[in-house]
Amino acid sequence: MSANTFIWQGREIPFVAGESIAAALTAAGILTFGPDMSGRETRYFCGIGACQNCLVRVDGRVVEACLTAAHTGLVVTAAGGAHG
Amino acid sequence: MADTRVIIIGAGPAGLAAAAELARAGQDCVLIDQRATPGGAIHRQPAHPSRTIPMSRVARLRFESLMKGIATPRVQFRGLSHFLGVDGDGFALIEDRTNGRVEKLAAKAIILATGAVEKIRPVQGWELPGVSTAGGMQVMLKETGIAPQGRILLAGNGPLLVALAAQLIRAGNPPLALVEAANPMTKPLTALGLLRHPALLGEAAGFTFDVLRSGLPWMRGASLVRIEQAGSALAAVIRQADGQETRIEVDRIALHDGIRENRIGLPQTNLQDAPIIVHAGDCRQTLGAPAAVCDGARAGRQVAALLGAKACDVAKLERQLARQVAAQKRLARIFSPVAALPALKDLPDETVICRCEGSTVGSLKALLSVKDGLSGREVKHNGRFAMGNCQGRFCAANTAALMAQLRPDMPEASEADLTGRRWPIRPVSIAALLSAAPAEQTNDHEVRL
Repeated sequence: MSANTFIWQGREIPFVAGESIAAALTAAGILTFGPDMSGRETRYFCGIGACQNCLVRVDGRVVEACLTAAHTGLVVTAAGGAHG
Repeated sequence: MADTRVIIIGAGPAGLAAAAELARAGQDCVLIDQRATPGGAIHRQPAHPSRTIPMSRVARLRFESLMKGIATPRVQFRGLSHFLGVDGDGFALIEDRTNGRVEKLAAKAIILATGAVEKIRPVQGWELPGVSTAGGMQVMLKETGIAPQGRILLAGNGPLLVALAAQLIRAGNPPLALVEAANPMTKPLTALGLLRHPALLGEAAGFTFDVLRSGLPWMRGASLVRIEQAGSALAAVIRQADGQETRIEVDRIALHDGIRENRIGLPQTNLQDAPIIVHAGDCRQTLGAPAAVCDGARAGRQVAALLGAKACDVAKLERQLARQVAAQKRLARIFSPVAALPALKDLPDETVICRCEGSTVGSLKALLSVKDGLSGREVKHNGRFAMGNCQGRFCAANTAALMAQLRPDMPEASEADLTGRRWPIRPVSIAALLSAAPAEQTNDHEVRL
């Protein structure tokens, strides 16, 4: 895997060190972050963890994409789905 | 609890100022923030140091002075940590996001300085991807140092929209239009009164000047009617000041209708045997950054005195706060909407009220029509309003207001009836909560500086 990329649903996403998963996905043109645990599409909204609308699953844990920094090699999937 | 620590939640202007005052009074404190770096919304630090967006001189000096105040061993900063609430035993529950563990921290006092939340008026389509709050767009801009790509529309009400427009212009992607319910340009005399508040006026004038000079359409006295999906883009339908509707296609829309204090799930009252709890800054009253510095300092002095330090005079801080209250009142007059916006009950039935679960104006009407006299709590449990992951932050006040509009003869439900009054204030895994341990018993945890 290339440096400064993480895996989003099997696809390599580049990021700038320190940037959030939401910022990196948005820069890659990805605006919906897959279904949450109740099956609704997640997306970026408030940027401060208040709306909980951008939940994703990072290495098994459900977290806010807007508050979670991207790291090389991170595996990010939709919050809902197989593990939900 | 023998602990003498003070825990401060939120490392924005209020939290930083409070920590500095406590340290000065000889108190140790732990400053908790969900981000990796202090600053809060106003002084949010870029992910990469080379990508800073320029700050005004006033803001830069304020932040430098705040950071100087916490540069003491008495203040420990713990980033990437989420405050979940105060449990029944009076412990502060802190989730460490680097390992997913929840710690129980004992404290003599807790200062809550979590900042404001944005008010967003629901419109059809506000739940679509590509629509964010103006604050949310600003987070991305400050974090990445790069303007969001594509065509941008800003819509709503309040000075933050002008600030964001100016920042987008400076970052090289001016918005296509700025839709503002008020017409600040018709209030020059009120605006002139801001001369008494030079710090505020300097920033406001800078932003306004940039917006006017850029020539971007500043649609004053206008409002967003609805947002539609238009292929991969978004179409915003806008009612202009003359009543005509116009349609603009864009890629991103940022909404904002002011800010408000943040109370949801936060402990309000001081229980016996529980730590002293004090609210400070915009989470207590939304007065902006300069006021948050005063209010944080006041909270810090107040707590230090309660813990036995020699009482410090707060009269000067109180006077400064009173001036900021006057300034904010003036700003509110300048940004008072030209015409009344439609009541929630007059929005189309399809308009989403609860963003988490997609409940609509129509579903609330249907719920209330089936059974008379549902309380706020029943609306939550039967209709799942304020039941989703955001715990009602973006729908509880609107649901309560809509209930009142639909049933004017009934006693009004409060926002807190819908949200409930309990922790955790953020979703957390049950496993992490069950394994939560007092910090003193976990010896492998290092406090990060």
